[in-house]
Amino acid sequence: MKQRYLLFLFLSLLLSSVDVWAQAVTVNGTVKDGTTGEPLPGVSVVVKGTTTGTSSQVDGSFSISVPSDKAILVFTYISYLPQEVPVNGRVSLSIAMQTDSKSLEEVVVVGYGAVKKSDLTGSVATLKGSELNRTPAASVDQLLQGKLPGVQVMAPSGQPGAGATIRIRGASSLNGSKAPLMVVDGYPWGDAGNLKQINPEDIESIEVLKDASSAAIYGSRGANGVILITTKKGREGEARISFSSLNTISALPVKPDLWRDPVEEATYANEAAINGGLVGVDIPFTGITRNGVYYPSIAELRGLDPNKPQWPHNTDWVDLVYRNPFSQSYTLSADGGTEKTKYSISGNYYKEEGLSIKNFYDKYTGRLNLDQQLSKALKAGTNVVLAHTKTNGFGLSVDRSRIFPAYDENGNYFRTGPTDYGNPLAHANQVLSTTKTIDVLGTIFLDAKITDWLQFRTQLSSKYGNSEQDQYEPATATFRGFESQGYGSINNSTYTDLLNENYFTINRTFGTDHALNLVGGYSFQRTVNKFNTLTGQGFVNDNLQNENLSAAVTKTISNDLSRFDLASWYGRANYTLMDKYLFTFTGRADGSTKFGANNKWAFFPSGAFAWKVSEEEFLKSIETISELKVRASYGLTGNQGISPYQTLDRFGTARYYTGTGFQTGFGPGLASGNNEQGLTIVGGLGNNSLKWETTRSFDIGFDLGIMDQRFTLTADYYVKNTSDLLRLKTIAPSAGYDQQWINDGEISNRGVELGITADVLSSSELNWTVGANFTVNRNKVVSMGENDQIEIGTLYESVRQRISTYAVGQPMYVFYGYKTDGIIQSLEEGVNAGLTGAEARPGEIKYLDISGPEGVPDGVVDSFDRTIIGNPNPDFLYSFNTTLTFRRFDLSAQLYGVQGNDVFDFRKMTPSRQIQRWTPDNPSQEFPRANSTRGYRASDFFITDGSFLRIQNVTLGYNLKPGLIKGVQSLRVYFSGNNLYTFTKFNTGFDPEMGELGINEGNYPRPRAFSIGVNVGF
Amino acid sequence: MNYRKYLYGSLVIAALLTSCSDLEEDPYGLINTGSFYKTPSDAESAIIYAYSILPEVGYYSRGFLIITELPTENLTQKGDAGVSNFELDELRTTSTNADLDNIWTYLYRGVARANAVITNVPNVPNMPEVSKNQIVGEGYFLRALHFFNLVRLFGEVPLRVDNIVEASQVPIAKSSIEDVYKVIIDDLQQAESLITSQRISEGRANKVAVQALLAKVYLHLASSKSSNSPGYDFVADADEMYAQAKNYSGKVTNEQTAFGFTDNLVDIWNTEIYKTAPVTEHIFDAAVDRTGEIESNYSKLPNMFLPADRRMVIPYDPLVPTSATINIGQGWGHFRTESAIYNSYAANDKRKTQLIVSQYKGEDGASYTLDISGNARPFTRKYIDPLRVGDKSSANTPILRYSDILLVYAEAAGPTTEGYAAINKVRARAGLGNLDPSLGVQAFRNAVVEERALELAFEGNRLFDLRRTNTMEEVLEHKYNKTITSGAYFFPIPQREIDTNPLMKP
Repeated sequence: MKQRYLLFLFLSLLLSSVDVWAQAVTVNGTVKDGTTGEPLPGVSVVVKGTTTGTSSQVDGSFSISVPSDKAILVFTYISYLPQEVPVNGRVSLSIAMQTDSKSLEEVVVVGYGAVKKSDLTGSVATLKGSELNRTPAASVDQLLQGKLPGVQVMAPSGQPGAGATIRIRGASSLNGSKAPLMVVDGYPWGDAGNLKQINPEDIESIEVLKDASSAAIYGSRGANGVILITTKKGREGEARISFSSLNTISALPVKPDLWRDPVEEATYANEAAINGGLVGVDIPFTGITRNGVYYPSIAELRGLDPNKPQWPHNTDWVDLVYRNPFSQSYTLSADGGTEKTKYSISGNYYKEEGLSIKNFYDKYTGRLNLDQQLSKALKAGTNVVLAHTKTNGFGLSVDRSRIFPAYDENGNYFRTGPTDYGNPLAHANQVLSTTKTIDVLGTIFLDAKITDWLQFRTQLSSKYGNSEQDQYEPATATFRGFESQGYGSINNSTYTDLLNENYFTINRTFGTDHALNLVGGYSFQRTVNKFNTLTGQGFVNDNLQNENLSAAVTKTISNDLSRFDLASWYGRANYTLMDKYLFTFTGRADGSTKFGANNKWAFFPSGAFAWKVSEEEFLKSIETISELKVRASYGLTGNQGISPYQTLDRFGTARYYTGTGFQTGFGPGLASGNNEQGLTIVGGLGNNSLKWETTRSFDIGFDLGIMDQRFTLTADYYVKNTSDLLRLKTIAPSAGYDQQWINDGEISNRGVELGITADVLSSSELNWTVGANFTVNRNKVVSMGENDQIEIGTLYESVRQRISTYAVGQPMYVFYGYKTDGIIQSLEEGVNAGLTGAEARPGEIKYLDISGPEGVPDGVVDSFDRTIIGNPNPDFLYSFNTTLTFRRFDLSAQLYGVQGNDVFDFRKMTPSRQIQRWTPDNPSQEFPRANSTRGYRASDFFITDGSFLRIQNVTLGYNLKPGLIKGVQSLRVYFSGNNLYTFTKFNTGFDPEMGELGINEGNYPRPRAFSIGVNVGF
Repeated sequence: MNYRKYLYGSLVIAALLTSCSDLEEDPYGLINTGSFYKTPSDAESAIIYAYSILPEVGYYSRGFLIITELPTENLTQKGDAGVSNFELDELRTTSTNADLDNIWTYLYRGVARANAVITNVPNVPNMPEVSKNQIVGEGYFLRALHFFNLVRLFGEVPLRVDNIVEASQVPIAKSSIEDVYKVIIDDLQQAESLITSQRISEGRANKVAVQALLAKVYLHLASSKSSNSPGYDFVADADEMYAQAKNYSGKVTNEQTAFGFTDNLVDIWNTEIYKTAPVTEHIFDAAVDRTGEIESNYSKLPNMFLPADRRMVIPYDPLVPTSATINIGQGWGHFRTESAIYNSYAANDKRKTQLIVSQYKGEDGASYTLDISGNARPFTRKYIDPLRVGDKSSANTPILRYSDILLVYAEAAGPTTEGYAAINKVRARAGLGNLDPSLGVQAFRNAVVEERALELAFEGNRLFDLRRTNTMEEVLEHKYNKTITSGAYFFPIPQREIDTNPLMKP
């Protein structure tokens, strides 16, 4: 029975097929690359207006039945221009697909829409996902380094999962965010820096909106620029399945500058103790026992002590702490669809091991983009992203003395005393530090095509994220653990975000000379961040770690939540006159709960004009110039600058003893931290007039293309002035408050950006392209109300001051401290310099007396002698990209350079320099004598040029000839080397790339990575 | 065309969304004016917050004693103390003195907290009038206390009597000393009529405290006027002020039983006695307790006095050297007792023999004698908590003490029977004989001030006694060989205030 049924089914299928053949015309053909002539497999071939489609075979051939010989075939393939070919009665077609990488017809995503690249009026930089380097990266952010002019990416840490700091056209806020807005598929996600939820391989394109004209559509979040990420969408045709893998082995790029010889280390330590005025048992390596630990003498270390054998320990901490980590990334993706339904789906597993033992980062991400045409006029779709990460461990120190062993005779971690927590192996193995995150992001949208020229889109998006951090520090492992007798905590933070966007798009042409594109809409976004922390201190033993905090002696809980809404009206008008003169007007009105009743709403308008000079008759005749466009824009963007509730008055709380117990009080004045004397600073006075920081930017630039875009040059000059800076003003203490948030102050950024591309060689077998980017930015603090200078950042105990400052007339983050002039060679020289006590001794750093209370040198080196001593902002950034393809091989390289920045190098006195120290026999002018009790001052002694040029990436790839393996449409194998070499004069043993403040305290080393990658298309 | 349907539909959606977002901020986890002062518990909590400024490190648990004791002959500071301590000790303060900036800041924080109570608590609904009056009265008392401290320290000061809600209220000019006193007296009279309770609890003010403070205020006006102390010309009639001082101090000494005279000197200062006894000398203290979580809930003030050499063991009862011992730990040795005050006690004055620790034993039993000219000097027993937990102590700082008011009464009454009776009561407890019964008015009042110096040493009174009797130079320069460079009668107003308050520019 069953068999008969099946037979019936088969026959009816066969019959129905025959039925189709009976009416159709079959068209055969091949699809090739228009430049190289290579057959192209996987090209989607669809009969226009139907769902009938196929895709080309490995040899580029296709066969399709069309309903009539008047049908039109549509050929689409990624990175190629789509083609529509009328059949016109032919039965055999030969199609040459043209790549669209340099095309002026290329469409560029801008906020709430897309425009042809040639029609851009603002300053927008674009990058294709395929142009990203293939190297382990937890997020795309660090891969943007050196890729785009005007975009500065700082990724000083090599820790797995670490993000990056991104600045577009400089920093322009004192207290607010300086990071660009990250928008993923039309959903503003927040500050750029760690886009861990998106697998870089899923990215179709990246657009960076740099000037006011392009960024003003994001209004109060546009002042720092906007990065738009577009993920891959489904295309018509059969399922295209691809698999890629990246396996990486990494290594320390440079040897840390450490003591190699225990004798030298001990000699230095003893000399430093003696010079520091220590005596007796405080001189370390003299063959004595202290705190139950024996400290060998130098003779013993050398093996020259007749009564003792040579000291057996010489621990290589680098060997024990660092490893050659192995990292992996696997992506499986599929896309395809019909005219009505399109899908793109992918999943990724990513594991990055850190250079430090026990340190790793695990990530799983999944993504689905699905579009469905509901009717002729209606299209619905969804984007879903899931991400799950786990970080374990931390960076470890390797500069522990090599004289002592890692383990004692009982196999326990060796400690030089009961409060020695410096053994990195103990730290790595005993301290629990794990962070897990989950992110779920989704969008559903509905597009309605109301008329040919009027469209409406409504979109609902939601983001949910949770981060949970587990920590446990046993009493024997850290000082905090010791103080608490076991310290355990669980930190939870959750965010939710809800966005609704509704906007109309109008596209109309009037006659041949006028084209109009209008966008207008409303959006509402609500963000809620919630935190809670559970801490336990004092545990009986370490067995449960933080798993039962209620067993702790002292338990602390804290929780907090912040919630803010943003409502916006926005609109943009693009008007094109005779395809030569382009006008853009953009505006966005943003209303935020964060701001005071008097300034809830702000309006950010901008305007731009572009002139396609190359479309003018007088240039049209010059064939070599394929594009010349001059652009100018001016407009306002904003920055929200502060966290919620700052405009409101906020009460403080305190307890008071009233005989039988404590009572809790509430009232005006909220403790907001301590000043440098340790006294409470009180804030909490509301300000109903707080408003947005406003950036006024002017941009002028041009785009030049020569020889059919074979050579292109984009140049921009900009001036950005940010005013109404949000800052805490010191107010009269008689008010009962010390400070209040207000708007004043101004920062300016000016700069030049150049981007150059050249197809130096272009033939069917050999292609060579070269690209270069160049970025100059000059930042200046123009005013800060009543203050000329504010010290910011960490208060460094070792120099008893903050180092970074904002100073009027100077770039942000300049270093503040003493000037020096080499090393003191005689006591007389030291005393004459205005120094006293140990500071005046020969071999010490010669600080300079340059001022005094009256503004003139007063013969004393004191805090009046401090001045601006360095600038961590680079003079310029530059990068080169080049790709050479020869037949099936390709070779690409990227270089990235930073020039002219100062680094405050706390780690300046490395062992290789300690060896060159000042001694009476070696009157160094460069490095001071050994002195273990010296209190350094923050001075230009520590300032070092941080310029570098890095060979960022070299990739060699091979594309296997299609069709060699059955079922495999394409196969690419490549080798990629990352962070291969750095040219620099900076402190040997450290990576010269620093964070924005330019202070070197010893970052997690950035690994040198060697990867092998495979991409397979099925 | 059905596009109109879409168009209208989407406009309706947009309009709905707009209307539901008025962008009002709904704060989480924090309390402010909008959500507070709604219930009787809120009112209670508001006054507790106003009190809680008192035992802060910047106020009575450290800062106030730094300001009032270092300039006098009572205390000096350790060698590596901050420069602002030295400026105070050597009477050469400038407007950038960090300690003055600190006390100024804390005093005005106190004013702001009291103003919040005075402004908001009367509007709390559904609250019994009696408890509302009590709390508002305490608010008036606290504001008067802060301004009395301000005017005695700085003279002409900004008179802030409004609750600050916006920045435009911040600039305010100085008021005359006369106007400041008007507010102080007015506030205290309000407080006296609003507060009915004789005693609420440790650390909270009551009717007796209000009367005690009023007595001190009138005495300050009276003696300043009669001695021609700078700034007090405005006082019309010194005798009238003396009469008021006598009137109010008399209410404390004669018309109430909640507080009284403690016969045993040591018991006045024993936290285990004065915190629990039914009647004590402590009319009003900045209250602390060693079970607190943070400093200002407990006090570390004892550490300022205790030498830093080693942990010290002393007899629980100094009257009985063989009594149980207490380990009082070691301190920071920040304050050093000056020989001037130490030597001005008669050898048999119990306030020296019982209330100043000159000898102790180490934990190992070895005996140590403290040298008044050394680094580790004899120190006062007034701030010792025998049950301290580590650095956490329950030692309150006294603000109004019965013996202080008894001496106010004596000074106001003059050489009358009741005046002599008051001062001789204090002297008798110290083991001293009666005062010469034939003194004239001025000589008698001088003798009371001298008695105050001995009785109230290290309690933050001496500086004001010297200022109101116009004897800063006479005592500190001529008697104790100090040099006064600046700030004799009024300290300079902190520079931060002058820089940030546009109406304060000189």
